Amino acid sequence: MTVAPERARIYEGSRIPARVPTILEVSQELRDTGDILEVNFGPNHPSTHGVLRLVIELHGETVVGLQAVIGYLHTGFEKNMEQKTWWKAITYAPRIDYVSFQNNELVFVLAIEKLLGIEVPRKATWMRMLLAELNRLHSHLVWLGTSGLELGAISMFWYCFRERETILDLFELVTGYRMHTRYFQAGGLAEDIPRGFYPECRKFVESMPAAIEQYEGLVDQNQIWIERTRGVGLLSAQDALALGQSGPVLRASGVDWDVRRDEPYLAYDQVDFDVVVYPHGDVYDRYRVRMDEMRESTKIIAQCLDRLEDMEGEAWIADDRKVVLPPREELHTSMESLIHHFKIVTEGYRVPEGEVYVAIESPRGELGCYVISDGGPKPWRVKFRAPSFVALEATATCLRESLIADMIAIVGSLDTVMGEVDR
Amino acid sequence: MAVERGKRLADYGLHSERVMWRGKGPGKFEEELGDLERRLGITTLAKAVRWAQTKSMWPDTFGLACCAIEMMSIVSARYDIARFGMEAFRASPRQADLLIVSGRVAHKMAAPLRQIYDQMLEPKWVIAMGACASSGGMFNNYTTLQGVDKIVAVDVYVPGCPPRPEQLMEGILRLHEAVKAGVPPAYEVRGVAS
Amino acid sequence: MTDRAWDQVPGHVSTTEAFGETTIVVERDALVDACTYLRDEEGFNFLSDVSAADYLGWGKAGVSGYIGTPAGRNLNDPMTQGYQRLPEAKPKRFAMNYHLLALYRGSARRLRLRVWLDNAESVPSVVGVWPTADWHEREAWDMMGVPVEGHPNLARILMDDDWEGHPLRKDYPIGGEPVRFSNAE
Repeated sequence: MTVAPERARIYEGSRIPARVPTILEVSQELRDTGDILEVNFGPNHPSTHGVLRLVIELHGETVVGLQAVIGYLHTGFEKNMEQKTWWKAITYAPRIDYVSFQNNELVFVLAIEKLLGIEVPRKATWMRMLLAELNRLHSHLVWLGTSGLELGAISMFWYCFRERETILDLFELVTGYRMHTRYFQAGGLAEDIPRGFYPECRKFVESMPAAIEQYEGLVDQNQIWIERTRGVGLLSAQDALALGQSGPVLRASGVDWDVRRDEPYLAYDQVDFDVVVYPHGDVYDRYRVRMDEMRESTKIIAQCLDRLEDMEGEAWIADDRKVVLPPREELHTSMESLIHHFKIVTEGYRVPEGEVYVAIESPRGELGCYVISDGGPKPWRVKFRAPSFVALEATATCLRESLIADMIAIVGSLDTVMGEVDR
Repeated sequence: MAVERGKRLADYGLHSERVMWRGKGPGKFEEELGDLERRLGITTLAKAVRWAQTKSMWPDTFGLACCAIEMMSIVSARYDIARFGMEAFRASPRQADLLIVSGRVAHKMAAPLRQIYDQMLEPKWVIAMGACASSGGMFNNYTTLQGVDKIVAVDVYVPGCPPRPEQLMEGILRLHEAVKAGVPPAYEVRGVAS
Repeated sequence: MTDRAWDQVPGHVSTTEAFGETTIVVERDALVDACTYLRDEEGFNFLSDVSAADYLGWGKAGVSGYIGTPAGRNLNDPMTQGYQRLPEAKPKRFAMNYHLLALYRGSARRLRLRVWLDNAESVPSVVGVWPTADWHEREAWDMMGVPVEGHPNLARILMDDDWEGHPLRKDYPIGGEPVRFSNAE
């Protein structure tokens, strides 16, 4: 499953366009033939995974010119987060990458905790890891369902969304809401893990490998799928690194790098999992990387469950009353708790002055959060380094000598979520 | 058909909860239809046309952000909007009847949204799904359109962030009931150029 | 990495360590040389992120720091009467931060490279060193108004092409609609 990590040469040299790295330009002789058709894959297109606009130039069926135009979903997250207290700003974070929502919350909360210097109880750490891996599964399932849909494997959508509904049921069981759960707080979790979660999660973990086999059975050996994805959208390791790619796109190009293993956060250094690397750098390898990552995530979730079941009754959030709300029973008896509660709710907790950059492995790659605090109750600057933003920079390189039908496959394989791209 | 502004849907005798809630009683349309069928055995052409419109109201693929993921869930097997004839999401607005604006609309996207709305043929309906489409949601800032009803005429607002699939289906079914009862699409009520 | 002074980096001005992260400040004119040095000699082959920050009004907004001991927060002593620490003034208004990563299997080194800029002072483009900087620098221009010199395609990326103003600046209003009974938040 994990291929030997020597980097095979996918193609010689670099295919990054010379003048502007992100724009594929038509050569002058081609333009002089008068045979170029400029087509707009507008922001509203069923296959572009959201509001992405691609202005392409076609010579027959071959894509010879490409420019990606983004910004159609720019929501002003970063400026809005500067206006709110730290607590409220956490609510904005999951909506950035709305398919792997808990990863955004996680990275922001980790950044706040790094600035605060607060220690998170281990129950919260392991639960966060479990939820982050469930979210990875959720994201890969949505990707697989929609990619299959675009390439014509329409029934894939229904199969993937069946398991996705089970995952959302688990989220609802724990957090009360299917998406944008807002379960992570600075210091731990918002609430304790409810009874009945562990058996349900176990059932899911046991049924998931069979489901993955089912998905693979649908498309893996399918001749159409293989012809549409093998050898399409090539990206060499050097180009991928130069273009800042990370996550499945980078690992499918043969680069063995995973933030979870190489810069462990939460408790990833205490669980056993393989990093999946494939050497060919095409759409098919990116598909294989994500399928195998789903299996690895299931393994991690099972290990988290084993550890969490022994932590029954432990604290789920840190004890620092300057940051964490006191338990409600205490408000009736303790004056200090009442004051702390009041201050935290109205003014917000203060985060010491400083700046941090925290990076985690989201399903799309390295999701980074750069936070500057001025010591007050509101963030001074929050910047999310979105992996999809960077993945779209690679479209011009991957789309050399491709047909228009391949373009759909390639843009799908980069797994972009426009909420992250535009923020 | 003249409609006074400010009439609530309940005044038309609409009880869409009936569809979800057993024992609430038949809606106005079913009552009238049952009556006519019993006495005369015919219906009016207008009623038949409206009934047909609701039975295959095809939505347009206008998924923008998080609400789009929940909109995709209603097509999935658990919530299954195919039972209402709506699983055929048309990519081309010229073939679509219903525009479900799901997600936050940036000012940059407002022009394409209006263009899509204009390309749809009458009769057409709009559902503003989610808080961002209804009112700008939590994003009260320089770049988010504060409610999609500023540029298109909305029939049903579905609150939530994102709304559960069942919430969206409730919105769709209320729209169906409204159409069957004879409420004209929003652009006629509000006098909006379409 | 904590023992290094990073003096060999061209244009090096200062090094700071905080929260386990290293930040080095270089002169604006030596930026491209510094980046090339870091990529080729030090092995920082991956540019994670380019973030611009606007420090207009830093320390003046009434947030007067943080109550604790002068050494920092002391959890074990909740009654500590603290010294209020005001944030130090920054050298210039804008900071352009480059988050670098030396990406090799099993080991990771991160570094933050910073350049201080005045309003409308341009920064040289590092697209020649790491092509991924293309869109990041366009975003810095679009959102913060930091002009990038030598960028092959410096156009607005997130806002409309004819938008006026740079939204993430501190003197740009949040916009939107006024909402009753809602305070500044």
